[in-house]
Amino acid sequence: MSLLTFIVLIFVGAQFRHHPGDRTGDKTGTISDYQSAVGNDAKQENVEISQVGVNQLASNSGHLGVSINFTWTLLTGFLVLFMQVGFAFLVTGLTRAKNAGHMMMMNITSFAVALLAYYCVGFAFHFGGFAAGNLGGTSVLSGIYPKGNWGLIGTHGFFLQSGHAYDVGVMALFLFEVVFMETAGYIIIGAIAERISFAGFLLAEVAIGAVIYPIYGNWLWGGGWMANLGKTMHWGHGAVDFAGSGVVHAIGGWTALALAIILGPRIGKFNKDGSPNAFPGHNLGYVVVGTLVLVFGWMGFNPGSTLGATDLRISIVAVNTLLAGCAATVAAIAWTNAKWGKPDISMACNGMLAGLVAITAPCAFVAPWAAVIIGLVAGFLVCYGVWFFDHIAHVDDPCGAVSVHGVCGVWGVISVGIFADGSYGAAAGGWNGVKGPVKGIIYGDGGQLVAQLVHAAGTFVWAMAITFIIFTIAKRFMKIRVSEEVEIDGLDMHEFGALCYPDFVLATTKTGGHAPETASSTPGYPPSAPAYTTEPGGGSGGTFGGGQS
Amino acid sequence: MKLVTAIVKPFKLDDVKDALSEIGLAGITVTEVRGFGRQRGHTEVYRGAEYTVEFVPKVRIDVLTEDGEAKRVADAIVEAARTGQIGDGKVWVSPVETLIRVRTGEVGSDAL
Repeated sequence: MSLLTFIVLIFVGAQFRHHPGDRTGDKTGTISDYQSAVGNDAKQENVEISQVGVNQLASNSGHLGVSINFTWTLLTGFLVLFMQVGFAFLVTGLTRAKNAGHMMMMNITSFAVALLAYYCVGFAFHFGGFAAGNLGGTSVLSGIYPKGNWGLIGTHGFFLQSGHAYDVGVMALFLFEVVFMETAGYIIIGAIAERISFAGFLLAEVAIGAVIYPIYGNWLWGGGWMANLGKTMHWGHGAVDFAGSGVVHAIGGWTALALAIILGPRIGKFNKDGSPNAFPGHNLGYVVVGTLVLVFGWMGFNPGSTLGATDLRISIVAVNTLLAGCAATVAAIAWTNAKWGKPDISMACNGMLAGLVAITAPCAFVAPWAAVIIGLVAGFLVCYGVWFFDHIAHVDDPCGAVSVHGVCGVWGVISVGIFADGSYGAAAGGWNGVKGPVKGIIYGDGGQLVAQLVHAAGTFVWAMAITFIIFTIAKRFMKIRVSEEVEIDGLDMHEFGALCYPDFVLATTKTGGHAPETASSTPGYPPSAPAYTTEPGGGSGGTFGGGQS
Repeated sequence: MKLVTAIVKPFKLDDVKDALSEIGLAGITVTEVRGFGRQRGHTEVYRGAEYTVEFVPKVRIDVLTEDGEAKRVADAIVEAARTGQIGDGKVWVSPVETLIRVRTGEVGSDAL
């Protein structure tokens, strides 16, 4: 019976084999589609070949170009939005189970709070003076202070209203840029994890969404002074940062560094002699899944930064991005294996992200071979960075945010000034208004490297300074770190009244997993103390040595 | 009555269970436990910082038997759980004062 049905189906199907569909695609999207796109007005279907007709054709073609750019910009923006999922998995997996609810809560909250801050003032500070040609109608964004080549801050678009900013082009730009700001907002979570109070965290997110990120962003992407260093100081094309190694990642990374220093290390992280203790993350599966989600999101982050699919460079951007990420992963695996005896899972993931961060600024300007080198260097840098901040600087950064985003962000910015090969950036009057393509020092433009160094140093100085100022003042009025008792218990119950894993007994030592002293050096090693005791200066001497700053 | 308690490697649980079924044991209780012995765990590196895995996961098996059965049960466990490697675990036998079956209230050997 079923055989019969099958034969009937084939027979019926064969009857339609001459149905004239468009199998090659040649017949789809022709003049007939043009006329239907023009509108239902029947009179317009038969426009004579005349100046009127040509104008109408040109206008329609312009509309289509902007439409495809809108589609591209919005869809890649949605991909970047999905990176939030990756960050949530990544940072939660890299921390301890007793704080998992707190980590997830920070991820959802940062999204909402920072977005609103960016909507109120951040976007205006950032893009108030920037007209995105690819998106057609954003010419209403024309307010920057001071006027000219030394702009410091944008002035149109507060609440997406002021300066006529209630506009389709502005909204497309806003969507794409707000998810970039969110990225900088998540980055800090990795470094402040497991000890920041919720109030302190909210302040940090408002500061990033309203001030720290947008103002610096204005200098690079909003028509501000760094982008114009090519015109004013004749340093290449001014500071060039295609998708934000510096603007997004280094700013996020250095803000994270400042916050990690202000907060101090987690209890038990460092021994009295300064040597670090490991607090293994509670779910390396989350870490790997999160990393792969981020890779996927990065396919929006970098290629989307053209703000338009009419710029066919997007394919090169996407491939360069993948090359650098994979090269950095291999480098990190090799480094950890050689140095620490085994390949480290979490560092392989950090390596992948380091490569992606580093290629974010140069992705449109370099050849594939250079992307591989940039990635390899980033893979080594991130491993060295994690080691450096643990063993030398004694800054407690649970997820490696500073090394991944700060160190490799700066490397990415500098790499533009080295590897940019002069094949991109000459269109429409040249990148940042300077004629000719963007070239690095090995292609003959040393000035470009100077501009990149200014940008790299700028991220560090601005993010560290403004964060220290804001939080030094804030510390006088609020508690930015949870109490010792809360930190030892885990933040979930005390901060939010619920555990992430209520059905599991979390058997932990005081430091949450592993006693800090090795057993052999502690004769009569006591069984681990119950998780909830907090005897001051307790049994395992030096456990509380880190303490609050 | 005796209580035979064994700490063995987790992957040996099935072998031990089969061995005990073969000699006709009515029931066993299994618990996942952690601990250390003379080796005191082992050292690993996580993100560049050394740490000691202090407590190694093990499985604890509790078996209630008649006095005369205890040695046979203990031997069966030892036989089934041995790999010859460090960390194979331990088996010990302790006396049981009272035993009550919850459902019926039977006491002593009847409750086995």
